[in-house]
Amino acid sequence: MTRVTRRALLRTVNLVPLVALGSFAWGQGTRREPIRIGCTLPLTGPFADTGVWVQRGYEFWAEDVNARGGLLGRPVEVRILDDASSVERATSLLERLITVDRVDLILGGYPGTSAAAQMLVAERYRKVYISMGGHMASFSRGFKYSFGAPPLMGEWWYNGVWKWLGTIRPADRPMRAAAITLNNAIGQAVRQNMLEGLKRLGIPLVMDELYTLPLPSAEPLVQKAKATGADLFIANGFFGDGVQTVRAMKALNYNPKLFLQGVGSLIPEWVKELGPDGNYVVSGTAIHHRVPNPGMIRLVRAAKQRLGFDEPPQYFLFGYAWAQALEKAVEGSKSLKDDDLVAYLRANTIETIAGKLRFDERGLPEPYEYATQVINGKVELIWPVSARTATPIYPKPPWK
Amino acid sequence: MESLLQAILSGLFVGSILALLSAGFGLVWGATGTINISHTAFSVAAAYLAYWLTSFGLWGFFSSLIAAPLLAFALGVLTYRSIVRPAAANVGELGLVTLVSTLGIGVALENLLAAIWGPGPRVLSLPISTEAIRVLDVSVPTSTLLAASFAWLGLIVLWFFLYKTYTGKAVRAVWQDPVGAALYGIDRDRVTDVAFGVATATAAVAGVAMALIYAFSPATYIEWLIWAFLIVIVGGVGSPLGTFISGLLVGVISTVVGLWAPFSWLPVILFAFLIGVVLWRPTGLFRI
Repeated sequence: MTRVTRRALLRTVNLVPLVALGSFAWGQGTRREPIRIGCTLPLTGPFADTGVWVQRGYEFWAEDVNARGGLLGRPVEVRILDDASSVERATSLLERLITVDRVDLILGGYPGTSAAAQMLVAERYRKVYISMGGHMASFSRGFKYSFGAPPLMGEWWYNGVWKWLGTIRPADRPMRAAAITLNNAIGQAVRQNMLEGLKRLGIPLVMDELYTLPLPSAEPLVQKAKATGADLFIANGFFGDGVQTVRAMKALNYNPKLFLQGVGSLIPEWVKELGPDGNYVVSGTAIHHRVPNPGMIRLVRAAKQRLGFDEPPQYFLFGYAWAQALEKAVEGSKSLKDDDLVAYLRANTIETIAGKLRFDERGLPEPYEYATQVINGKVELIWPVSARTATPIYPKPPWK
Repeated sequence: MESLLQAILSGLFVGSILALLSAGFGLVWGATGTINISHTAFSVAAAYLAYWLTSFGLWGFFSSLIAAPLLAFALGVLTYRSIVRPAAANVGELGLVTLVSTLGIGVALENLLAAIWGPGPRVLSLPISTEAIRVLDVSVPTSTLLAASFAWLGLIVLWFFLYKTYTGKAVRAVWQDPVGAALYGIDRDRVTDVAFGVATATAAVAGVAMALIYAFSPATYIEWLIWAFLIVIVGGVGSPLGTFISGLLVGVISTVVGLWAPFSWLPVILFAFLIGVVLWRPTGLFRI
C-alpha cells in the first residue's frame, strides 16, 4: 500500500464515526419530527356550524393520539385551513397543502360538495383521502385513494328507519307519505333512499315536492301535504328549512303519525333552539355515541371530561372517526406512503368508533342502518334494537 | 278555496316583511347611488341583538325594537361617512366601488358575528312563537303576524319620514335632482348621511322581524340580500311604494305558485317575473 493510499484510508476510517454519529442524529430528528396532516374545513360561512365540530373532532383525535405516543412514534400535527364554505377554496387550499406545504397526510373536508371535489385532488396527487365523501356519485368514479369511514351517505340515510317501520304491524304503519326535498345533492341523495324504502314497505308517495333555498315560507308545502291526508311526512332538508317546516306544521295543526327530517335534526341547535317542538322527529345517522363500537365509550368519557359534552355532537364523532381511520391505516401498514395505506385499507378490516369497516372497491364500508328520534330534547337511537337508547314514540303525539 | 286564501294570506304577511327588508336597500341605492351589500348584514346583526335581549325575557325582545334601529342608525351614518363616501369620492363607477366596499363591510360584520356567537344557526323563540290564530280553516302563526306588524309599522314610519318630514323630503329631492336640491340649499352630505342611517335602521327592524320566522346565522345575510335585490329591482329603485307592492307580489307568488305548479319551479317563475317587469318597465313598477 502506498503512503498516499494509507493516509487516505486513515482519513476515511476517521470519518466513519462522524458519519455514523451524524446519521444517528439525523435519524433521531426525523423520528421525532411531527407527522404533518393537512385539511380544509368550513370554519366560516354557511357550513361553519358543522365544520367547527369536525375541526374539534380532528383536534381532539390529535391530542388523543399524541398522548398515546403519536403515530409510528412521532407526534402528529393537524393543520386545518379555513375554506370559508367554498368548494373552490377547498380544492385550491388542499392542493396547496399537498404541493407547497408538502404535508405527509391529508384528512377529509366538509360538506359533501367540498369532499367530492377534494377527492379529485387527492386522486390526482395519489393521497389517501378519508372523509364523508359526496354521497354515492362521488364513490362511483373509480377512485383508488378515497375512503368513506364512515361516509355520510344520503342513499343510506333512512335505512334504519325503514327497518324499524318494518317491525310495526302493517295495520299500524303509515298509509301514505308526502315528501318535500331540498333540491341539492344532499336532498336528492336522501330522497333516493326514501323512494326505495317507501316502495319496499308498500307506502304510496302521494306528494313529492322539491324546493330551493331561500325558502320564503314552508306553509304552502305543509298545507299541500296536509291536504293529501298523508300520515307520513318526510322533509329532506337542512336545519333552517327544517325549523320553518316544524313551525308551519304546528301552525297548520298538521299531525302525521310519523315525521322524518333529513339532516337538520341532528345538529345540537335543533334541540337547543326548537325546544319541545323539535321532539319526535325521526331521522337516520351514520354514527351515534351510544353505539358500543370500539373506543366509543372511552371517547365519550374523555370528551365529557375535557370538553364538557354530555353527548358528543355527531360531527365531532365524524371528525374523530375519519382521523382514527387514517391512524389505523398508518399503524397497520407501518408506513406513511399513501400506496401502502391504500393497500392496507383494501386488504384489512379496521375498527374505529364507527364500527368494523371493511372497504369495497369503491372505498365504501357496508351500509349502516341507524334510526334516531328526538325524545325529550335528546337524540336517541331507536334502531338497531340492540343499541337502542330509548323506546320510539309512535305515533307522534298531536301538537299541544 | 281555503288553500288559496291560506296561501294568499301567508304571502301577504311574508311579503310585507320582505318589503321592509328591501325598503332601506332601495332607499340608499336611489338616494346615494350606493349598492349596499352590507344592508342585510346589519339585519342579521339586529337579529342577534334581539336574540340576546330576548334571553332576559319578553321585555328584552321588545326593547330590541328600540335599541336595534337606534344603534343601526348610528352605525349606518358612521359607515357611510367613514367608508362609503370616501371610497366613492373620486370615482366614476360609483355603483361598483360602493358594492365592493360594502361587500367588505358585510364580510367583516359576518366574521365579527361569527367570532362572538359562533357560526351555528339560531332561532328567535318567544312564548307565542309556535302558536297560531285560526279562523275557520285559515291559520296564521302568531310569530308571522307579529313580524308582519313590525314590518307595517316600519314601512309606515319610513313613509312618514320620506313624505311628511322636511329631512325626508330633502332626501327625495336629492334623489330626484341633486343639482336642483343643492340650489335650494339642501346639504347633500348631511341628507345622504341621514338616508343611510334611516335605511340601516329599517334593516335592523326588518332583521328582528325576519328572526321571528327564519333561522339565522352570520352567513344568512347573503340569502336575505337576494330578496332585497329582487324586490327593489321589480318595485323600482328608490320607490317605497314600489318596494311595498313588489314585496307583497313576491310574497304572494312564492306561496301561491305551489298550488298549481311544482314548487321547484318557484325560482324560475320569480325570476321570469323579474325579467318580465324589467323588460316592460326598465325602471321598475314605480318611480319615486
